[in-house]
Amino acid sequence: MTDLLTMLDEAGLTGRGGAAFSTATKVRAAREHRAELIVNVCDGEVGAAKDGWIVEHHLHELIEGAGLVAGDGTRRAVRYAAHRGSRTASLLAAAGLGVLEVPHRYVSSEETAVISAAHGGLARPMTKRAPFVFGGRDSQGRRIAPTVVLNAETVWRVSQVARFGPRWFRSFGTTDEPGPRLVAVGGHVPRPGVYEAAAGVALSDLLSLAGGLPPDARHVGVGGLGGVVLTASAALSTIWDTPGMKRHGGALGPGIVTVWDPYACPIDVAGELIAYGAGESAGQCGPCMFGLPALSQAWGELGRRPGVPAQERLQQRLSLLERRGACHHPDGVARFAASALGTLAAEFAAHADHRCQKERRPHAQFA
Amino acid sequence: MPSSPDARIAVDRVLCTGHGVCAQTLPGAVTLDEWGYPIIRSETVPADAASLAVKLCPARALYLR
Amino acid sequence: MSGQAFWFLSRATGVVSVVLLTVVVCLGMVTAGRRRPHGESATVVMGVHRWLSLGMLVFLAVHIVTAIVDGYVPIGWLAVVLPFSSPYQTLLVGLGTVAVDLLVVLMVTSYLRHRIPERRWRIIHWTSYAMWLAALAHGFAMGTSDQPGLRLTTIACGTVGGLFVAWRLVASHADRERRQEINAQEWT
Repeated sequence: MTDLLTMLDEAGLTGRGGAAFSTATKVRAAREHRAELIVNVCDGEVGAAKDGWIVEHHLHELIEGAGLVAGDGTRRAVRYAAHRGSRTASLLAAAGLGVLEVPHRYVSSEETAVISAAHGGLARPMTKRAPFVFGGRDSQGRRIAPTVVLNAETVWRVSQVARFGPRWFRSFGTTDEPGPRLVAVGGHVPRPGVYEAAAGVALSDLLSLAGGLPPDARHVGVGGLGGVVLTASAALSTIWDTPGMKRHGGALGPGIVTVWDPYACPIDVAGELIAYGAGESAGQCGPCMFGLPALSQAWGELGRRPGVPAQERLQQRLSLLERRGACHHPDGVARFAASALGTLAAEFAAHADHRCQKERRPHAQFA
Repeated sequence: MPSSPDARIAVDRVLCTGHGVCAQTLPGAVTLDEWGYPIIRSETVPADAASLAVKLCPARALYLR
Repeated sequence: MSGQAFWFLSRATGVVSVVLLTVVVCLGMVTAGRRRPHGESATVVMGVHRWLSLGMLVFLAVHIVTAIVDGYVPIGWLAVVLPFSSPYQTLLVGLGTVAVDLLVVLMVTSYLRHRIPERRWRIIHWTSYAMWLAALAHGFAMGTSDQPGLRLTTIACGTVGGLFVAWRLVASHADRERRQEINAQEWT
């Protein structure tokens, strides 16, 4: 069984949920503390689809991977966290697996929210004074047994590393970010879907998998609500790896690329996403429960009356969201808003003159 | 006797309800936003000031790392 | 010291204890029920709440010791900790003992607050209302009729405290309202 840890170390597998933490380190800690394993199959990020895709197409390997991670020393059977009423949840239940149903809320699929729900609490994030793989307490003092949450793709990759070996794994991706990765390509593309890719590919190649970037496309979101937005031309010259995405303030994240509807006002599209994020605050941390609605309001004001004062107010809001919550929800929304603010500079100018495209279309991708 | 060593402060954001006491007990290191929630300007503060601030936090949200 | 002096000292420290206790309880309610944008007054309130609760112990200790040592009425040392064990005024002295016992629990749990689950500390801290009521009843009923000042002071404490409780019941602030609003959404 230590074989597995060595293989994971050699493979360099990192968490595919977005945090990109070393899976070997996490699994080692889980083993040491006999932590309960929860597989996160929520597809919680806006535009995410890969967790459900794995359940639909590779369920046996997912179960095998979970078994390998859990070993034989866990406190209780592996559970699979999925949104209540989702197709994924019913597929898991039909396969006779233990399903931990969480409400269909953005922050409820966050790691500590899943752990809280697993311990009979509300599916809301907890303050992480130390990783919950060691066990601990929530803010009110409720005891939390050692628990580890791994993203579904991470667990699936564990089974692949065990089967095909670290060398096979490292034949994909880059030296720093090895291994195959799933990406959900959606929005305004000919063939939205989940595709196999790897770090280091050009974003244009990634988009080609889904039929290519349409000529009328104007903006491409990478990473959902916790991610960034690029202009179409910037997207075409961007490499999809950490250095490439960092240039735009982003990261690989949970593998989501969304081409925005070019016939909807992008300021409104971004505004709707920010408003959605504000409404998904769990109401536990002051800077989030007041700061996000204030950010959303400032965004709306800048859209209606662009100018230096409105821009400064928005910047002020953005500066008060970083690292001021129990989870990174406010950080993620702030990152997205800051990115959209920069990318949509030209649109804001057009917006001021009422030149922007006003006819609204439904953006199903961001519902 | 050694002078006060430094301590690292942190806020449990779930427990913090915005009393604003830490901005008084740790002036300079902590300021408040418009709703009264702390903005940590400096995580590192003298240990004795930190422990007093921790004791006086009504919500018990301020803690030492 | 003569018995007379003990008697006076016990009465005086008793009434001071009730007054200080009322102030401490009211400051606690202010801390729980009010938010100020800059927190200056909150710091003063919190500091006084904490240190006055300790300072009050001196008066309370003198009150208890002198009442027993006086010997004019039989109370006994056991009655300091065991409620309703005093031969003299079993019920009324007992209320004072209940208040003392609760006070000890409140003091110890607050001293150890960082080692106790926050929820548990909070529930325990709510018993301060019971402690305060027990102390008030004890003070009111035992303030002898030839000393109306004592009884009036107790009544004043009860009135002021009652007003604070009423305020506490209706007081709200943005933090609490926003939490409640979001808490009411679906989270399970």
